[in-house]
Amino acid sequence: MSSVHRFTEFSKQSPKGILVIYGSLLYKLLKGTWFLFFLFIKGFSKMSEVTLVYIYIGISVVLLLLLLRAFLLYKNFQFKIADNHFVLKQGILKKTNTSISFDRIQNINFKQNLIQQFIKVYEVSIETAGSIKTEIAIKALPYERAQELKRQILLTENPFQDDSEISKEKPLLKISVLELLKVSLTENHFKSLLLFLAVLIGLYQQVKDLVKGLGKTADFDSYFDEGAAVIYGSLILITIFLLLLIVIGVLSSFVRIFLFHFNLTVFIRDQAFEINQGLITKKSILLKKEKVQNITISTNPIKEKLGISFVIFKQAISGKVAKKKHKAIKIVGCKAAQITKIKELLFDTEKLETAEKDYVDGYYKTRMCFRSGIVLFLFNLILYISFEEVTLFLVNMLLIPVFGLLIHLSFKKTFYKFSSDLLLLGSGSLGTHYTYLPFFKVQNIQIKQNIFQERRNIVDLVFQTAAGKIKIPCIKKEKAIEIYDYTLYKVENSTASWM
Amino acid sequence: MFENQQIEQLPSIEELTFKGIPKAYLKVVLIHVFLFFTVAFTGLFLLIRYKLQEEIPNYTSYLYVGVLGVFLLISLILIVGFSRRKYALREKDISYKSGIFFKKITTVPFSRIQHVEVDEGPVSRLFKLASISVFTAGDSSDDLEIKGIEKTEALQIKEFISQQINE
Repeated sequence: MSSVHRFTEFSKQSPKGILVIYGSLLYKLLKGTWFLFFLFIKGFSKMSEVTLVYIYIGISVVLLLLLLRAFLLYKNFQFKIADNHFVLKQGILKKTNTSISFDRIQNINFKQNLIQQFIKVYEVSIETAGSIKTEIAIKALPYERAQELKRQILLTENPFQDDSEISKEKPLLKISVLELLKVSLTENHFKSLLLFLAVLIGLYQQVKDLVKGLGKTADFDSYFDEGAAVIYGSLILITIFLLLLIVIGVLSSFVRIFLFHFNLTVFIRDQAFEINQGLITKKSILLKKEKVQNITISTNPIKEKLGISFVIFKQAISGKVAKKKHKAIKIVGCKAAQITKIKELLFDTEKLETAEKDYVDGYYKTRMCFRSGIVLFLFNLILYISFEEVTLFLVNMLLIPVFGLLIHLSFKKTFYKFSSDLLLLGSGSLGTHYTYLPFFKVQNIQIKQNIFQERRNIVDLVFQTAAGKIKIPCIKKEKAIEIYDYTLYKVENSTASWM
Repeated sequence: MFENQQIEQLPSIEELTFKGIPKAYLKVVLIHVFLFFTVAFTGLFLLIRYKLQEEIPNYTSYLYVGVLGVFLLISLILIVGFSRRKYALREKDISYKSGIFFKKITTVPFSRIQHVEVDEGPVSRLFKLASISVFTAGDSSDDLEIKGIEKTEALQIKEFISQQINE
């Protein structure tokens, strides 16, 4: 600790930050207007020299203005530490003053995108939970200053932390490229494909909106319709199309896994996990034991054969859960020994081993069948309305058995068991998920029963945690009430802080 | 001294005596529905008068009957469902149950409550009624809200919970 920065006075980030901010501004601009560039290149030859000059001048002015904005953003971004609060003032015209108490701070994460890696600075993001909706990112700090800031903020809570020994420590988990290949290959490629398609549809919409703005919608749509008509006409093309989808699915699995989890290493230090991962954007996350609300350990049949599973750590989030899914921390390629260690650190799972598994009522299956029935019916209705081809309904021959299998698996895999402190919920269809929830982390509890369940005397039991809902579907009412009462008893008698 | 007595019987949610919502709130609910449908009927009337009269003159009366039917059905469901809305307060938590076709019971322990809110709408105010909502961490859409209890009681509950939280 030689050149200690105390952060007692307001200070700016590293001047290199201008570059980082400029980079992100440019990125945002490109994301919104990339299609215009495409049009520009396409129409390049047709433009007169005067138009070109105007376009070039326009672009340079925009670039310069952005640079000015980056500089002003940098200049007006100042932070300090005072009285156990992190204080930040920012904003060019509209000045904002934010002050966050240390105990509100959930995490301090380091990130490095390509620019930041190149100029050797770190982005420090300060995550908070609860009712405060602020999320703070300091775009560019040199490593020592970033570490010092983290140390000072976390010090008050955790005085035993010392960085000097990390380098000698053996990591709990270190994933090599080979292992990462295994992980990617055994991913759910169908899900990857859907994610990829979602991105594509997003792009398509963006392009369509732009084209609409230029008044060429008809051309654009007919271009796609023609393409669709060609594909529709030929069985060979359909086969090629399907093969292509499979290849894209597998490829996007690889891209996704390598992008997020490249060079994954996990250390255990002072009751906390330090997780480093990422290819283009490197992330470093310090995850404290008491901040973990629940974890899910997942695997699928092929991963199981290779003895690997992935773990998702969920932390408290504010606002809508669905929007903040990315905040869940995922690590991949864990072996059984590592899973045991993770579980050991977080909870006492020993008593859980002897507990008895309880399965859910058969009505769960009926309900899933009913719901899939509705989905299939709607699907067929759409088919009926949009195509005249009868052979298309043959797709049902494939879909019905697939749905049936998924429902059967899902029913078989849903179970729950609990020890005095911990609830374990099994779920999944193709994959298998085990969710561990300590009772005292529950925020509120709910029993739900619809009119069909009432006749069978079964209910759904819903645990609301700070990291989202956990539901045990269709169990006997008496059993549910027993767990309900017990959970309340545990929550109301616990003195440990849930966060 | 450390005490840890064995607990023979946990306090059960089933043995709790739940309290109903004051009857006056049913009036508030029905006034709300009535106001909504007055607007809907006016809208429908204007729509038929200026547009549909020419296009589908034979079916306009069915539209009125349809909307009236929906109005009656919703009112009926609300009247029957109203008697199912019940709440209970214990030393350490607050519970609320409701629903006819979809029954639901929620309990929020005081120790997890982030904040409490008492609101009164313009119609409720005429009857001196208010709603009390409690919020916990995380996705708060599924927390607990008791609508239409007496305002004095709502404030008392709020005070009570605030005291419990601060202890």
